[in-house]
Amino acid sequence: MATLEAPELDAAISNLPDFTTETYKDAYSRINAIVIEGEQEAHDNYIAIGTLLPDQAEELTKLARMELKHMKGFTACANNLGVVADMAFAKEFFAPLHNNFTTALAAGKVPTCLLIQALLIEAFAISAYHIYIPVADPFARKITEGVVKDEYTHLNYGQEWLKANLDSCREELEQANRDNLPLIRRMLDQVAADAAVLHMDKEDLIEDFLIAYQEALTEIGFSTREIARMAAAALVG
Amino acid sequence: MFGLIGHSSSFAQAQAKARELGLEEMAEADMLAWCSAPPQLLETFQVTSRTGKTIEGTYIDSCFVPEMLSRFKTATRKVQNAMEMAQKQGINVTALGGFTSIIFENYDLSKFQQIRNTILEWERFTTGNTHTAWVICQQVERNAPLLGIDLSRAKVAVVGATGDIGSAVCRWLSQKTGVGELLLVARQQQRLLDLQTSLGGGTILSLEEALPQADVVVWVASLPQTLSIDHDSLRKPCLMIDGGYPKNLDAKVAGDGVHVLKGGIVEFWQDIGWQMMEVAEMAKPQRQMFACFAEAMLLDFEEIHTNFSWGRNNISLANMELIGDASLRHGFQAIGLNPAQLSRAAQGGVELAAA
Repeated sequence: MATLEAPELDAAISNLPDFTTETYKDAYSRINAIVIEGEQEAHDNYIAIGTLLPDQAEELTKLARMELKHMKGFTACANNLGVVADMAFAKEFFAPLHNNFTTALAAGKVPTCLLIQALLIEAFAISAYHIYIPVADPFARKITEGVVKDEYTHLNYGQEWLKANLDSCREELEQANRDNLPLIRRMLDQVAADAAVLHMDKEDLIEDFLIAYQEALTEIGFSTREIARMAAAALVG
Repeated sequence: MFGLIGHSSSFAQAQAKARELGLEEMAEADMLAWCSAPPQLLETFQVTSRTGKTIEGTYIDSCFVPEMLSRFKTATRKVQNAMEMAQKQGINVTALGGFTSIIFENYDLSKFQQIRNTILEWERFTTGNTHTAWVICQQVERNAPLLGIDLSRAKVAVVGATGDIGSAVCRWLSQKTGVGELLLVARQQQRLLDLQTSLGGGTILSLEEALPQADVVVWVASLPQTLSIDHDSLRKPCLMIDGGYPKNLDAKVAGDGVHVLKGGIVEFWQDIGWQMMEVAEMAKPQRQMFACFAEAMLLDFEEIHTNFSWGRNNISLANMELIGDASLRHGFQAIGLNPAQLSRAAQGGVELAAA
């Protein structure tokens, strides 16, 4: 058997960043802003999807309200650390994905809207929160732990709708995947340096995101080969 | 339902496999991208025992490649994520193949049971080492006599004797087979002394001391690429069982009375409708496989849904017998020296390469 040099894993894991340094706060101002903007976008997107699915509007409004609650929680996290979120950066960060959502909405494309919001953004959030929790400050950790549970509910909503309608929207989903998954990859690249300051590793973020996304695609009913092909679009480009 | 967690034997091979599966992006992607690739459930297939019982299995590629070994966090994540996937699929027993069990053991991943929102249930996994150890012992017992080696008088060196498989092989060879003398080779002296005490015998030697004396060498340690073996100093005939991973002994020493057999490989009684053993470079990929994978099948056939092989040095002779009996009953056979090797052995001629 090979013998591998095992570093002190415990030490690596308990190695929390210093939350009081300017470097940490600077990076946090952008990461936190992305989270706040993400929750705001999610709220707006669920309300918007409700206009395309009037019979679901009530349910979607409930989901949207949860996102606003999350947004408030994350705003409190910034206040707690004495950080002002860089919202201008965050708006720009979400712009390409936001534009694609707006275009799909205008065209009445429910599957594309759900793929962007309920699958991609939620899977992105879930993976990022999971990786953030072990390295978060105690205040933010508690809030994030509460939020991550809700995000699964949202992912599940999108999954269920798409599962029920897969036959009629398979091609649209594949196209939406091709159009939007590379954007997620670029967004992750864009925040990699700031995330690293928070002790969040880019490799972890991408892999965990893809795991959550692949699980959703499995649930919806894509075959394992189709899923591997769809997910691969995130790894290159 | 059983599961197999595996990986490609090199990055180049992983890319080639991705291309074959129609994953052009993955085939083109660089190593960094592969480091972020999630595990993939690549196929589901049925296996029918010689008894007629049919079970269903799933192959999960961890997307690990040996080039990632130097990246501790990446290697760890690949194993944990593949295990989480197996558990979420509801698989009863999954074998950790190739490097994945080595990574699990050496990085002590049993300390990390929570993966995101999943608590890994260890009873769903097996290293497969009990079956591997049994198969290696079978390979020694059956093939040494074919080369004219009398095991009751032979010196058998076990390289990697203190490891999980190595120590089990030592116990079996000394208590069941009854070999002439066991030569114990490993790096850690204290573990060697403990093993010697528990066996009630065996001679502790360095690799350089052991090799020229051994009629049979069981390798259950990975060989460093730089290891050179002085072929002239080896006994002839000499049976070498390459039970390490990866299997790279053949090119180093086979030939001129030195016979190398791939250790811990079994052949099933009929073809299996799977494609994944091609990545393991088996001679007959439709029916040959690592014994550790076969252990997951055996446990499922026998409905022993527990972590049968787990931790270090827990393999008992009773469990080796149990899995060995099941192995024969369900139609597995340890691979042996092929006819070409045996005929060369009979002629005392030059052996080019083992199959």
